[in-house]
Amino acid sequence: MPSKLNSPQFKRVTGQILEPFALGLLALLFIIPTLTVFNLSPITKTLEKLDVLGVSSKEEIAFTLVGGKHEIIRSEYLAKNEDGDYTYSTTLNKRASDTYSKPIVEIKNNTELQQTIVLYGQTKTPTRSNISVIINDHPYKLQSDSNATYPQEITMDPNTTIIMFLNVENLAGVQFSEEFEMHLKVKDTL
Amino acid sequence: MSKLLRRALKISLVPAILMIVGKFLGIFATSILYNLQFNIDNDISGIFSVQIYFTDQDTTLFVNSISNLTMVLFLLLPIVYFIIKTLLYAAAHNNPKTIIKMTKLNLLNWIIKKDTSFLKTFIWCAFLWLATAITITHSIQGNTYTWVAVTTGVIALLVTLFTIKTFELETDKIYPIEKKYF
Repeated sequence: MPSKLNSPQFKRVTGQILEPFALGLLALLFIIPTLTVFNLSPITKTLEKLDVLGVSSKEEIAFTLVGGKHEIIRSEYLAKNEDGDYTYSTTLNKRASDTYSKPIVEIKNNTELQQTIVLYGQTKTPTRSNISVIINDHPYKLQSDSNATYPQEITMDPNTTIIMFLNVENLAGVQFSEEFEMHLKVKDTL
Repeated sequence: MSKLLRRALKISLVPAILMIVGKFLGIFATSILYNLQFNIDNDISGIFSVQIYFTDQDTTLFVNSISNLTMVLFLLLPIVYFIIKTLLYAAAHNNPKTIIKMTKLNLLNWIIKKDTSFLKTFIWCAFLWLATAITITHSIQGNTYTWVAVTTGVIALLVTLFTIKTFELETDKIYPIEKKYF
C-alpha cells in the first residue's frame, strides 16, 4: 500500500515548504565563509602593558602582586599612585563564617638600610569582618569586626623579601561581595 | 524543491569550505615557513571570539597578503580545471584533431564524459569574486599589498570572461549557431 509520505502530492508540498529554507541556506553558504575570512584575518595588536605590579627590581622597595586564584579573595590589583605609594584592592566574595587567607603582595627591600612600610586598609562596606595581614606568621590587624581600622608599620631589614598574606575572618556568613582596599607606603627615613 | 537549487547547494559546499581552508592554511603555512610568532586571543567585539594577531604591522600585512593569495589560488585551480575541461569538451566535438591530441596526452577521459556544468563553473566563479572582493577590501584598508589585490582582480576578470565563454558554449547547445548548419 503506498504510504502518504511517498505520494507525489506530499513531496510537492514539502518541496514548496523547504524551498525558502534552501534559498536561505544557499545564501548562508556564501555569507559564512565571507564573514569567517573577514573576522579571522590577522590583525596587529601590541601586547598590553600590565599596569601593575612589576615594579623593576632596580627600585629601592619593590612591591609585586603575588596573584593566583582564590575562591574568596578575587580580582586583585596593585597600582602605583602618583605620589609613589601603592594601592592594593580586591573583591572579597560572599562567604560562610570561616577564616580565609591568601598571599597577596611580595615586598623586596633592595636597599642597604632598614625600611619601614606603613599600611592601612578597610572594606568599603561594614560586614563585621576581621581583616589583617600576616607577615612571617605575625598578624597585623587592619580592620576589626566593628569596622575600626588600625594603621600598621612593618620593619624590613636590608636586602630582604617578605610575602604578605591577607587574612579575612568572619564569625557570621557574609551574603554579599565587598571591596577591600589597602594602602602601602614607604616611611621616609630621616 | 527545485533540482537547480538542490544542485546549487551541493556544489556550493566545497568552494565554501576551500575558501576558509585556503585562508587558514595561508596564515599557518606562512607563519611556519617564515618562523613568525602569531598569537591567538579572545575578542568578544567581533562575530567570532577567536582572533589571530601579530605584534608587528609589517608581519600582519605580509601574512594577510599571502593568505589572501592562497585563498584565491585554492578557488582558482579548480575553476581553471573546469573551464579547460569544458572548452576541450566543446573543441573535441567540433574538431577531431583535438581528440587525437587528447589521446596522445592520455587525457581522453576529460572529453568522454560531460560532468562540468555551467552552474558549477558559475558558483565557483562567484566564490572567486567573493575572495577577490575580500582581498581588495583588505588592500583598501591597508592590510594587503596592492599588487595582491591587482593580481586577484585581473585573475577574477579573466575567469569571468572564460565563464561567460562556457555559458555561450552551453547556450549553443540549445540555440545552435546557424552558420554551422548552412
